[in-house]
Amino acid sequence: MSKSWVLARKEINFYLNNPLGYIVAAIFAVFANFLFMKDLFLRGNTSLRPFFDLIPWLLLIFIPALTMRVFSEEKRLQTIELLLSLPINEKIIVWGKYMGTFIYSLVALVLTLSIPLTVNYLGRVNITEVIVSYLGVIFLIGLFLSVSIWFSSLTKNQIVAFLVSIVVLFLSVAAGGDFFAPILPRVFLEIVNMYTPLYHYNSFLKGIIDLRSLIYFGSVSYFFIYLTIVNLKSRQ
Amino acid sequence: MIVLDKISKKFNTKEVLKDISLKIGEGEIIGFLGPNGAGKTTTMRIIVGYLKPTSGSVRLDGEDPIAQRLNVLTQIGYLPENNPLYTDMKVDEYLQFIVDTKNSTGDFLRSIIEETGISDVLSSKIEELSRGFKQRVGLAAALIGNPKIIIFDEPTSGLDPLEQEKIRDLIKKLGKKRTVILSTHILSEVVDVATRVIIINKGIIVYDGPKPKTDTAMEALFKKATGN
Repeated sequence: MSKSWVLARKEINFYLNNPLGYIVAAIFAVFANFLFMKDLFLRGNTSLRPFFDLIPWLLLIFIPALTMRVFSEEKRLQTIELLLSLPINEKIIVWGKYMGTFIYSLVALVLTLSIPLTVNYLGRVNITEVIVSYLGVIFLIGLFLSVSIWFSSLTKNQIVAFLVSIVVLFLSVAAGGDFFAPILPRVFLEIVNMYTPLYHYNSFLKGIIDLRSLIYFGSVSYFFIYLTIVNLKSRQ
Repeated sequence: MIVLDKISKKFNTKEVLKDISLKIGEGEIIGFLGPNGAGKTTTMRIIVGYLKPTSGSVRLDGEDPIAQRLNVLTQIGYLPENNPLYTDMKVDEYLQFIVDTKNSTGDFLRSIIEETGISDVLSSKIEELSRGFKQRVGLAAALIGNPKIIIFDEPTSGLDPLEQEKIRDLIKKLGKKRTVILSTHILSEVVDVATRVIIINKGIIVYDGPKPKTDTAMEALFKKATGN
């Protein structure tokens, strides 16, 4: 069995055996369902766009809540010393933890499938568009996880990791929308916008799998995973 | 063979280890002594590759514990100070996790469990165990993979005298087949189990030689070496 998988399995088991995993996943699913469903009949159409527009804002809280403990807890309880004295290199440790939290996030995401299923029952949804949009969500989860895990590796305080991750993810999502329009020049915003996760996520919501967006998500996620590996090595 | 050659370690401007050199041969049981803050734990952490020395080199059978960590760490069983454990796991899950991360076949797991006396608590959560049992679980984890070198940092700290004696007996048993480095502040423990004594004070090795035969002689040696 690969050592990355051993660590991933340990992470998944932690969420399955602790209230934190259930509480965070349940809150995410309840909010996603409630916030979309409450206006469903007022909207009078079966578009899932409002649901997928909502997802980045929920993920920017859900993902840091899930990852805040990943390295912070190891540092606080000093189990990081135990982990780093086992014959596993830092790269495997980081990838293993990333895989574990990624898989658990996908489990939580499955809980939102009730939304397209309900809407499809009430009317008709474009299945291809829904699948591509979910693919966008999966890439967004991958990126948010890599950022939040990096922040978790920087401190032994879970709350600090949680709050800093939320602030940074909020700024990255907000920069992709109209949030800064009143205070920043339009030309500047247009340039910044192209480098935000929301810009590339929106291309999935249009039903397009754009190679540039795949490269963007892959490279930014890898960059933060790499930073986490470097940070773990720098203990020396 | 463990060789430390002119090891220094600085944390910011504070120099914790100053040019220490050591050679530890196979089958030795080293009693590693020193007052609080003398540099014992830092030395252990450097040997297992958890910390990188500021200068100097470490070799375990000729290999660098940082550059060749995957090879080196399969030969080391390490029980860190304060015995950090994943307390949310059950004992058997935790030991299996260590078996998997060490790529061990787990052949010796049954005998390790019996040797450390934890058969009755295998299905218990680690957080529910007494301090003594937690310590045994940490010892069992260190022994997985049949390592040639075992490093214990304060293994009997906080245990009652009966538990301390059991752990000491186990260390003596382990030392018959392996190299053991035992860091402790309990002088009588060293007299009981060690074959050689190293005393460190303020980052400098102030004694390296045979162990005294009695607790009184050990105490006198420690006082003379450290000035405490």
